[in-house]
Amino acid sequence: MPERRWDLTGLGLLSPLLLLLLFAFLLPVAALIPTSLRPYVAGTGVGEGLTLGHYAKALTDSFYLEIILRTVGLGFVVTLLTLVIGYPLAYVLARSTSRWRHWLTLLVVFPLLLNLVVRTFGWIALLARRGLVNQWLIGLGLAEEPLRLMFNFTGLLIGLTHIFLPFMVLVLVAVIQNIPREVEDAARTLGAGFWAVFARVTLPLSAPGILSGSILVFVLTISALVTPRLLGGPTYKVMSTLIYEQFLQLLNWPAGSAMAVVMTLIVLALILLGTRLARRWEARA
Amino acid sequence: MGRFRRSLAATAMAAGLLAGAAATTARSQELNVALFGGSFAENVRTCVAEPFQRATGARVNFVLGNSVQNAARLRATRGRPDVDIAYMDLQVAVQAKNEGLLDQVDAARLTNLPDIYPSAVDPDRRWIGFMYSSTAIAYNPRELRNPPQAWADLWSPSLRGKLAIGDITATSGQHFLIAAARINGGSVENVEPGFRAIRDLRPHVVTLYTQADQVVQLIERGDIAAAVWFSDRVGAAARSGVPVAVVFPREGAVGILPTFSIPIGARSKALAEQYMDRALGAEAQRCFAERQFAGPTNRRVELPDELARLVPYRESVERMYFPPPEIVARSLPAWTERWNREIAR
Repeated sequence: MPERRWDLTGLGLLSPLLLLLLFAFLLPVAALIPTSLRPYVAGTGVGEGLTLGHYAKALTDSFYLEIILRTVGLGFVVTLLTLVIGYPLAYVLARSTSRWRHWLTLLVVFPLLLNLVVRTFGWIALLARRGLVNQWLIGLGLAEEPLRLMFNFTGLLIGLTHIFLPFMVLVLVAVIQNIPREVEDAARTLGAGFWAVFARVTLPLSAPGILSGSILVFVLTISALVTPRLLGGPTYKVMSTLIYEQFLQLLNWPAGSAMAVVMTLIVLALILLGTRLARRWEARA
Repeated sequence: MGRFRRSLAATAMAAGLLAGAAATTARSQELNVALFGGSFAENVRTCVAEPFQRATGARVNFVLGNSVQNAARLRATRGRPDVDIAYMDLQVAVQAKNEGLLDQVDAARLTNLPDIYPSAVDPDRRWIGFMYSSTAIAYNPRELRNPPQAWADLWSPSLRGKLAIGDITATSGQHFLIAAARINGGSVENVEPGFRAIRDLRPHVVTLYTQADQVVQLIERGDIAAAVWFSDRVGAAARSGVPVAVVFPREGAVGILPTFSIPIGARSKALAEQYMDRALGAEAQRCFAERQFAGPTNRRVELPDELARLVPYRESVERMYFPPPEIVARSLPAWTERWNREIAR
């Protein structure tokens, strides 16, 4: 058991990051709290006094609850999809000795080099009512009417999964690369087949990567703004677009702040929960 | 390599210093203007900013944003604004005025003010309307031989699956709600009949657009044959070759009054007033009518007949319905909430 005490060198090395987090994350979030408690009078602006009304509304109103659930649900499904698609890809990238490996990695990273708005417009061109996908489906006789692929759950799911896949893959590659091959070889010597090795050795050992990749993708998904605004439109709102609307279309900063605080708390709670679950899983492995 | 890099760094530093020096000398003669983007900004540059720069030697910088973004900017920088002039649609300007963000314009310094229609000037002179536009009906003349002539025609079965309307966050969405209420026995204070009528229409509407420019693509792609849209946008789109024409509906188009204001604490108030005066002058207003299809608020502007038919001008301004901005600003959050639940959902 290593001795637990404040290591000043470690703190010194961490402090630039800690300071950055303090100023770029904690303070702005904390600054939202006083605003979120102010009343708002339409037509005259932010009022004086204190109220919990914006929180009460965000947490009890059926419309807002639906949007909160939808956002969290979207986060889970996108995370799951990127994991299912990303894991095999990451496995191949981490274990391949082919000289194409670097090109494959580049291919995974490539979408990140392209501006987000441009990528999203690409999806609009593909998914629109008369977009490429619908033209092909109808041309091939697979559909009679154009499918609704935009302004709904499907559209956001496709767009966000594509955009956040590289994050999952890159995190997983790093972790899978660090799993000692000897452990897998040992399992194989003891008679385990490929799938048994994978399920009982490789997968549990990559749990930290699965966890950090999932947290990353989940948080990015539920806080994404540009893609939901463009692919979801006014008819399919998520929390971030609702917050944007309160701040920049209705000028109701208190209500927007309250929703932002709620969203931050949901993210923190889910991260804590996820870390706990993963720790338990690791301990069992 | 090392030497090259060092010289590169030196050059960059020198350039930085030069830019810094230029910025300090020009600061006193700089005017920062927050205005709407797209062709609007281009036309303001041609009709107002460039002549102003030539006449005064001051530099005009544009900061682009929509009405609400500009109001949010003023609120966030209250008392120490980083712009000298902010362009906002009337109902947003009224909100900013009520929040105590807008300064009073000095009437003595605005020589063109007496020529502006009184209804386009705030009695307190904290906002001034520089153009008229309207929410009207746009249609594709190649697809509709008998275009809708009235707001009520938009509910006709022949337009099912061919119509786009604005979301409530777009001015045209708010105006369509008001118009729908008015033709069904309601008013701006009682929009209930409007909500009911639009709820019936909603299944037949192709899309709720949030950005005015989306309508251009929708018409070009053939996704829609008609839209509730802005009369000035129709003129600009038609000139660039989009098959689109405007109908001012029989019951009256809904008037839009874009305004500009000087925020309290602006660094160059006198210069800003000079800029406003130029923008309100007959020359700039005529230029803006020709390029932006904006109805002049200066009553001395004479327009050729052909242009007068396309823009809100004289009688057609009088026929338009201008919703009282105080009521719109006060009701908008409730309208938006209800719209999100009943129309957009």
